Amino acid sequence: MKNRIKELRTKLNITQDELAKSVEARRETIVFLEQGKYNPSLNLAHKVAKKLKVKIDDLFIFEE
Amino acid sequence: MTIKKYNTFRMIIVIALAIIFSQSIIYQNYFLAIGILIISSLLVFTLRKSVKEIMADERDYEQGGKAAMLAMQIYCYAGVIAMFIFKSQASLNPSYDIIATTLAFSICIFMLLYSFIYQVKSKGKFWDKWVIYTFLVLLFFLVLGILGILKI
Repeated sequence: MKNRIKELRTKLNITQDELAKSVEARRETIVFLEQGKYNPSLNLAHKVAKKLKVKIDDLFIFEE
Repeated sequence: MTIKKYNTFRMIIVIALAIIFSQSIIYQNYFLAIGILIISSLLVFTLRKSVKEIMADERDYEQGGKAAMLAMQIYCYAGVIAMFIFKSQASLNPSYDIIATTLAFSICIFMLLYSFIYQVKSKGKFWDKWVIYTFLVLLFFLVLGILGILKI
């Protein structure tokens, strides 16, 4: 699943470490998320979306 | 304490534990072996409590589950193969029969224990029909295993 985490994080000038701490995850998880190698739980997706000030739908690109 | 420091301390404790534990077994001082095991476990537990950073998140738990499942499968397949080898060679050495029986029952009990824990986690409660069935089968195999080994 593709996402816009890196794009939005860079725009808000947040580091991977800061994002990881604020969503209570490890930095490696953020790396995997950004690379689209990990599908997060709804809870984590919500936290990331909230931190990046967007809706979940705008953050993750769902492919049919 | 940072995760990096915690990992360093943990590594030192594990190395020290391995050295002391092996030496105490060689010198047949089992109290020292058990004592050092308890002390090191408590030490690691205390150190872990002092780490303020996030040590594991949902991805780690997911990967941990997959790794545990794979490790269990490998152990079971390898154990079954080893069990048949030992059983076929039992005529050469009677102790091979005990090893084969122990292996067979340990694999059965291991798989049943996995099923039981999975059922408990999956259902979220102990008082469920299938959880109790699995628990009873586990107990049955435990008794059967002990009796089987004692008989040999």
